[in-house]
Amino acid sequence: MVPVRSVSITPSSLAPIDFPWIIEHKEERCTLCGQCTAVCPKGAIVLAHMRKRVPKLDVFQKKRGNDYRTFTGIRQETDPAKLCIGCGMCSMVCPNDAITPHPGTNENRTVFFNNRKGEPLKRGGRRNNPGATLLDQIMFDRISMLTDPALDAGRHEFTVTTSLGRVLSPEDFLDRTINGGWIPPTREIFPFIIGSMSFGALSPNMWLGLLQGVAYCNEVLGIPVVMCTGEGGCPPWILRSPYLKYIILQIASGYFGWDEIIRAIPEMQCQPAAIEIKYGQGAKPGDGGLLMWYKVSKLIARLRGVPEGVDLPSPPVHQTLYSIEESVMKMIQTLSTAFDHKVPVYPKISASTSAKSVLNNLVRNPYAAGLMIDGIDGGTGAAYNVSMEATGHPIASCVRDCYLDLAAQGKQNEIPIFAAGGIGKNGNVAQNGMAMVMLGASGVHIGKYIMQAVAGCLGNEMNRCNVCNLGICPKGITSQNPKLYRRLDPDMVAERVAETFMSINTEIKKIMAPLGRSQSLPVGMSDAIGIGNQAAADRLKIKYVC
Amino acid sequence: MATTVVKGLNEAGARIGSMKFEKLVRDAAAHSNDLTLESFGQHNIGIRLQREDGLTITVKGPSGQRLGCMGQPGTRIICEGATSDDVGYLNIGAEISVLGDATNGACNAMANGKVFIGGSIGARGLTMTKWNPDYDRPELWVLGSTGDSFAEFNCGGTAVICGINPKNSTNVLGYRPCVGMVGGLIYFRGKIDDSYSKTNAKLSQPDDQQWQWLMENLPGYLDNIRRPDLLETLSKRDEWNILIAITPQERALMFSGPMAMAEFRNEHWVKALGGDPLRDLAPGLDRSPIGTIVTGDLRRKQPYWANAESAAPCTYYCPVHIPTVDRLRLIREGKLDEAYQMLLHYTPLPASVCGAVCPNLCMDNCSRRGVDTAIDVQVLGQAVGTATPPPFAEPLGKKVAIIGGGPAGMNVAWQLALAGIESHIFEQDDMIGGKLAQVIPWERLSQAIWDEEVKRFLNTPYISVSLKTEMTRDKFSQLQKDFDYVVVAVGTHVPRRIAFPGNEKVLAALDFLKKAKSDKPLPVGKQVVVIGAGNVGCDVACEAYRLGADKVTLIDIQKPLAFGKEKEAAEALGATFRWPVTTNEVTDEGLITADGDLIPAQTVIISIGDVPALSFLPESVETMKVGGAAWISTDKAHLTSDAQVLAIGDVERPGLATHALGAGKTAAEFIIAKIKGLEWQPFAKPLIPQKALTITHYVPDEVVATEQNQADRCLSCASCRDCHLCETICPTGAISRKELHPVTQTGFQVALDVDYEYVSDDSKCIACGFCADTCPCGIWNMNPF
Repeated sequence: MVPVRSVSITPSSLAPIDFPWIIEHKEERCTLCGQCTAVCPKGAIVLAHMRKRVPKLDVFQKKRGNDYRTFTGIRQETDPAKLCIGCGMCSMVCPNDAITPHPGTNENRTVFFNNRKGEPLKRGGRRNNPGATLLDQIMFDRISMLTDPALDAGRHEFTVTTSLGRVLSPEDFLDRTINGGWIPPTREIFPFIIGSMSFGALSPNMWLGLLQGVAYCNEVLGIPVVMCTGEGGCPPWILRSPYLKYIILQIASGYFGWDEIIRAIPEMQCQPAAIEIKYGQGAKPGDGGLLMWYKVSKLIARLRGVPEGVDLPSPPVHQTLYSIEESVMKMIQTLSTAFDHKVPVYPKISASTSAKSVLNNLVRNPYAAGLMIDGIDGGTGAAYNVSMEATGHPIASCVRDCYLDLAAQGKQNEIPIFAAGGIGKNGNVAQNGMAMVMLGASGVHIGKYIMQAVAGCLGNEMNRCNVCNLGICPKGITSQNPKLYRRLDPDMVAERVAETFMSINTEIKKIMAPLGRSQSLPVGMSDAIGIGNQAAADRLKIKYVC
Repeated sequence: MATTVVKGLNEAGARIGSMKFEKLVRDAAAHSNDLTLESFGQHNIGIRLQREDGLTITVKGPSGQRLGCMGQPGTRIICEGATSDDVGYLNIGAEISVLGDATNGACNAMANGKVFIGGSIGARGLTMTKWNPDYDRPELWVLGSTGDSFAEFNCGGTAVICGINPKNSTNVLGYRPCVGMVGGLIYFRGKIDDSYSKTNAKLSQPDDQQWQWLMENLPGYLDNIRRPDLLETLSKRDEWNILIAITPQERALMFSGPMAMAEFRNEHWVKALGGDPLRDLAPGLDRSPIGTIVTGDLRRKQPYWANAESAAPCTYYCPVHIPTVDRLRLIREGKLDEAYQMLLHYTPLPASVCGAVCPNLCMDNCSRRGVDTAIDVQVLGQAVGTATPPPFAEPLGKKVAIIGGGPAGMNVAWQLALAGIESHIFEQDDMIGGKLAQVIPWERLSQAIWDEEVKRFLNTPYISVSLKTEMTRDKFSQLQKDFDYVVVAVGTHVPRRIAFPGNEKVLAALDFLKKAKSDKPLPVGKQVVVIGAGNVGCDVACEAYRLGADKVTLIDIQKPLAFGKEKEAAEALGATFRWPVTTNEVTDEGLITADGDLIPAQTVIISIGDVPALSFLPESVETMKVGGAAWISTDKAHLTSDAQVLAIGDVERPGLATHALGAGKTAAEFIIAKIKGLEWQPFAKPLIPQKALTITHYVPDEVVATEQNQADRCLSCASCRDCHLCETICPTGAISRKELHPVTQTGFQVALDVDYEYVSDDSKCIACGFCADTCPCGIWNMNPF
């Protein structure tokens, strides 16, 4: 403990009320078992020995002086590098319910000081913007009562898959079928896709647990879930396994892991589900990956084809692409050719006011299999705080504009739009996703929700935890330290993936059944949704209901 | 009673409506317990009909929907042909036999009673079928097969599907039976497509009790459908299976998927991948799950007992790096002689320097200040004034020349002597001790103490002293030939002066102080001005007062640098400080400032520092010009550019007497290492951070000027005090104290040897860090691991 008189106050000194998370320790319940300090990922808490002075203030006694009493308690560090992140691991391991972090309710003064050495705050997680999202407010208000065949989500069979890939117009299809033209590949997949999270951003146990769960969904449950690799490559044995067909391989500006993918192409037992070309992320538009050296373990280095312990930033842009036309043409054509034009190839962009321009380019590109748009509420393993908080575009109106644009051209059934960014932010994943579908998305990508649902990610929109970028994930989800990621049992992750998708599958049916719809996903069925917000209703061209 | 016939067609041959037909049947049943209905597709036949003596209804014509609807106990309905949808709908006890097929919805929501079908049924049979435990279970017997969606939400009904002439020979239960089934039991015979809801029903063979029930009830069923001939065919136990509802309790224990994840991993995942998918990227990587609270190699941190690996602030900031914490520990252990010897191992002048003239940088930084006040090191230094030095080593046959017998030169000689190396001090004055002896007023350094310490020094073996020896280049080069090393420790004995008009009237502080301490002090006027208000200036002021001055003014061109005891002493005598004052001229009236003010003075003394006199140095020793004077350049070991020549003390740069002592010790250590052929190591212990200590274990205490009081109050920074607190606080009992056998040291070193260590058992430690958080001395560190 620092002696009181040697405490120096610096410009960035903080008082306990300034902390973003405040540790409440009940000394009378504490058994001093040490588990909280042992588990704390930040070293934010210590056993403190404190001294109390009890002056002898008896008026009638001549003898004066002081008694001293020492006592112990768990206290939090004030060093900004060790501030409590509110993950709550301490309370999870406490046998006696003696310790818990509470969000600081005072203004969070640490935000003024988290720029040490001139480096702005970087973190993982999502935009710290708690509360109901716009998607949460959308209601499915077109209920088939006796007007349509009554559907029972529990009894009736539903087809809830979506098409990933370019769907030719009937004329084109017939023409090419008869004349032997190229039919673009499509996949029938579950409309909730595990979004791109790289092997590297995620720990091996998390990433492989996800894939194991995805394989289970496909092979045991019959739910055709696919997952996207992110740009960290894919383990060579997976590339050569039958599970590749459940994987969307991502290529991005860092090109990590593509040497192994190209090496594996001749030996692939099956084709990947699709190729995603990442041009942007919703959480950090205009910025690339920020995998820092402490997450580049030997394994990650080997997989990505780089030396161990180096920083692996992905550039914000692909260096060899200079325009939309070129991006679309060069990348999509190259990747489509690489897989013999048998694998759908689509770009992923950040939601933006310019998304329609990209989409219109894709409409004209015969190789483009779709467009994935990622909104501002998306999560990420590492980004500058300012990018996450304030840069980007919400997903709903962006996808809606794009869809209506396609509809105006009569192309809405030909090129699918996928949406991401805050789907399931408050846990309403099926509702959010189906709202997006009815606004015009053919499916949604979910990343942060998956981390939360299948692995117990502690991050939230109160800036809880959100240290994915530091490699100290207390759940072992985003750490490359085996001492942390071994906390995560891949079987349990896989089991939770199965449970999660079984549940989403049921909820989709529960949403579709009242619509009287069972045999195709209600893409763009915007007459079935309403919102109690006039401005949003006008903007999205859906019903205002109250 | 005779059979009563009710016709479904009127006399005109037209069909009677269901409403009217039901009335006719009801009327008939009021009078007869045996009805024959020549129906013509009327609905709801037999609805809620009952007689106390029982009622038998034989349906001979075509039957409409919901035959036996809401059937009552004691009522038997025999339909001699096929029937339409929903036979037995909401039946609560009737026995309904249908000799042909039944279409969709058989037994929907039936709660009691029996339905015997002599053919097959359509879709959605046995759905929502109930069972009130106060009554028997409802039963549905089907000779052939069922349609799709059989037994949905079945809540307790028993079904027997015999599989005789099924509509679909590959699937006697239709597509997706048992969805939402929560109770009941389905006996079936024949193939199914395995599409039954696995989360609602489980497949098995009838157990003895179930088989016995079937065999007991089968003949009655066959009689009812008039096929007793099939009894033998249907009595082969191995042809029968059952689907039984999974109870909620069972379901709660199941993983909600139809296959256990471990099975999927072992049977599919690992096989498809041929093993661990990372086996090529990371061979042997152990990814098996671990707990959150771990021991051994799985910890992220590890405690480390870093006893004496850092320096206490007193040791760190002391230029001689005297380990005061160790000395105080020896006192606490009652080893006073060893404590004194240890101090004398570092300095020959503990009482004069630590105990008197040193500003005690150790105390400035003492951790005890966080509790009350610093350890009083002066008390400790003074206690050693007459103590016996530690034993001197056997002679090594080497000798070192030391030029200058000030504190720097004395400590070189002292340290060399302890190591058995001869040294010869060449001193230009008529006494050794340098400025300590010549300049420091006796008020600050008592002559009695000084004389004792000089006596102890001069009685040391291996040290000889030549006084009044002027050094020249020739002599120096001779020394280089005669001695193994030459150490230059001549200090600064040329006063610095400024060439303002009248500067010849100004006395130099150095000369003034030297004379003041001698038998023939210089005369002092009533008014004295001292130019330069540093600590030497304060000494000058004090001596001036002692020698008769009434008023002493210290002037400086900047804020006076004087501090501590010297400044307090001067101020106590009445000295005043004026600044910023620049001297323009000194006249017989006094000092005239740049502003033209006259500060009256009969004596003006300049005290702006002294510089070395180095004319004897050979060219091989490089110097550096700073502030108009040359200073000898040295490295960390105080070695000059000449590998045989070292320079220590003020000739390198002006400093405290303690700096000179420290330089002397370091230089001696370098020479000893070289002579012994060892590698010289500078003092390199890092300072222990204040945060590492836990000072709250101590409470403010009364401070007494005794060694014991200092020893008791010492926090023992960075040095284990063997308090067992770590052992006590460790929640897992991982820490224990281990005895060590002392190693081969002699003298006070034996006492310093720590004959124990604290160790942490890796197999118990969870790396909570409590040891580090508790250790009063900052010994336990939590290292990343």
